[in-house]
Amino acid sequence: MTAPVAVTVERLSKVWPDGIRALDDVSLEVREGEFLAVLGLSGSGKSTLLRCINRLIDPTEGKISIFGRDVTSAEGAGLRALRREAGMIFQQFNLVKRHSVRDNVLSGALGRTGTLRSLFLLFSDADRAEAQACLDRVGMGDRGDSRADALSGGQQQRVAIARALMQRPKLILADEPVASLDPALRNSVMRHVEALNREEGITVICSLHDLDLMKRYATRAVALREGKLVHEGKPEDFDLATLKSIYGQEAEFGFEAAS
Amino acid sequence: MKRVAPIPPSLGTRFLALLVDSLLLATFLLMGEFLGRALVFPVEEGSLRTAQEILERLHYAALGGAGLLIAVVWHAARRLLGGTPGLSFAGALPQAESEVPWDLTLRGWFTLLFVELTFFTGWLVTEVNLGTFFTNFDKAAGVIRGLLHPSGAVLFEGLILLIQTLFLAFMATAFAIPPAFLLAFAAARNLTRESPAAKFVYTALRTAMNLTRAVEPLVWALIFISWVGIGPFAGVLALWVHSVASLVKLYSEQIESIDRGPMDAIKATGAGTLQVLRYGVVPQVIPPFLSFTIYRWDINVRMSTIIGFVGGGGIGYILKPRVDLGEWGEVGTLVLLIAVAVWVMDLVSARIRERIV
Ligand SMILES: Nc1ncnc2c1ncn2[C@@H]1O[C@H](COP(=O)(O)OP(=O)(O)OP(=O)(O)O)[C@@H](O)[C@H]1O
Ligand SMILES: [Mg+2]
Repeated sequence: MTAPVAVTVERLSKVWPDGIRALDDVSLEVREGEFLAVLGLSGSGKSTLLRCINRLIDPTEGKISIFGRDVTSAEGAGLRALRREAGMIFQQFNLVKRHSVRDNVLSGALGRTGTLRSLFLLFSDADRAEAQACLDRVGMGDRGDSRADALSGGQQQRVAIARALMQRPKLILADEPVASLDPALRNSVMRHVEALNREEGITVICSLHDLDLMKRYATRAVALREGKLVHEGKPEDFDLATLKSIYGQEAEFGFEAAS
Repeated sequence: MKRVAPIPPSLGTRFLALLVDSLLLATFLLMGEFLGRALVFPVEEGSLRTAQEILERLHYAALGGAGLLIAVVWHAARRLLGGTPGLSFAGALPQAESEVPWDLTLRGWFTLLFVELTFFTGWLVTEVNLGTFFTNFDKAAGVIRGLLHPSGAVLFEGLILLIQTLFLAFMATAFAIPPAFLLAFAAARNLTRESPAAKFVYTALRTAMNLTRAVEPLVWALIFISWVGIGPFAGVLALWVHSVASLVKLYSEQIESIDRGPMDAIKATGAGTLQVLRYGVVPQVIPPFLSFTIYRWDINVRMSTIIGFVGGGGIGYILKPRVDLGEWGEVGTLVLLIAVAVWVMDLVSARIRERIV
């Protein structure tokens, strides 16, 4: 029994105007409820792949669909409706620094809020209650009135998770969500992403460069190298030889030496 | 990394170089003729002509042609004579040649001579006269004495009109904020990359604003005085036009320097264009916008005195007749008032801006 398909990527390529081929004929399928890790060296195309899925970047060739609906040809209101299905979490958190934590979470509801009301930050009481619930979930319930830039990195990322949750997404795209955090804080943030995956059944596609995190949280992983999909499998399939083929012969892996 | 092998200059570059050389050589020859007529043959010409009269008599066409001819010859004999100044200007000199010390090149000596010629010609063209500068001081002494002994007669009127000036500058700034704020988004490159239509609007808007700014506020004042009549409102309108144009430039440059991250994040929630601007852009630019706006008010206070001179209201308006009548004591009072106001505005606006950013 396999779960229905959440995301399909077919023969996706992205060539930047300067001729760099960031993605080269990438195909993959993600099933509902999966936690897919995307591995690869810096510059291998991880961010480009994630940003093509919600069309922050327009792909050059290929087709993407999420939950059976075509993203690549969507425009205007249709595209915005698709984006609502996918919450995004960024390495740099990307909160609106001068807004309060609460207003940042409420911005997750923009896709379903009238333009005029939202221009004046007039959200309904129901939205406000929901925002509070999202903040409670990530353990930030008492910080709603703080300004976003007054928080630590780990706290900001938890607020960003709450903002994504506020979208009521069926999919979460996380682009190196813990790469700019203290190693000690990484699990505290990853656990919240994992909870959304396990408890809400939200499909997660998460680029990571930390192999320990991949082994711990992912249900499946793919690896990119120079824009090409070079490996795909269960976390435990990524043995030393595979990793060397992804990261190059020179790479060293601490956990291999220890085990 | 760049420029590994010397790239042969394109036809356009070579044409530009030739054009520059022709202009330089023609100017060189014309300056020579000017100096000749002014210094060597002053009598033949009928002595003591003004600079303008000599300029009217120069052989522009003939020497222009000669300049072109010499430039062509120099380009043709490049092997022998070395690169021309025009080629250097167009960036078409080979690396090896541009590294030769200047005093070993014809180009270098030509440039040196050209600059010296410009200085001597300039001295005569602008009719520099150090004699009168140092001997006629007593004529200006009266003015300076008046300025140093301000008369109390216009103090009250001056203060009243100074208040009008401050409000005039304020209203011009206030009226400028809404249009400048709205236009700034369309004039920001990072927000107008998506579609050709947006790119066109960007270019058109930038050009229009640059042209508007290039026209002095004084000229705008003349236009609006004939439109709404002499008085402070004409001054408000003149400063308003100028303020819109400069605020659009300052605002849009600020928008161009924002962090893209929050914009992407808001876009990813499924927000529409206006929502992305409201949440992803506006919060980042409000403090600098405030700071620019206060700075603009400051500038408008300075400008409004000049605008008053031609009838745009405010303190400048009563300054003009007193200058014409030579009431230097009263002029002194008004100038002092303006100076104090500008100085205080400067301090206050700097202080507020520090606090904001
Ligand atoms: N906006 C852009 N314009 C031009 N080239 C780009 C742009 N964004 C990314 N690239 C190029 O595309 C390639 C893939 O970049 P991408 O950001 O997807 O890599 P990544 O795997 O996310 O790397 P990192 O781990 O550093 O985030 C790189 O060579 C990069 O230089
Ligand atoms: Mg990246």
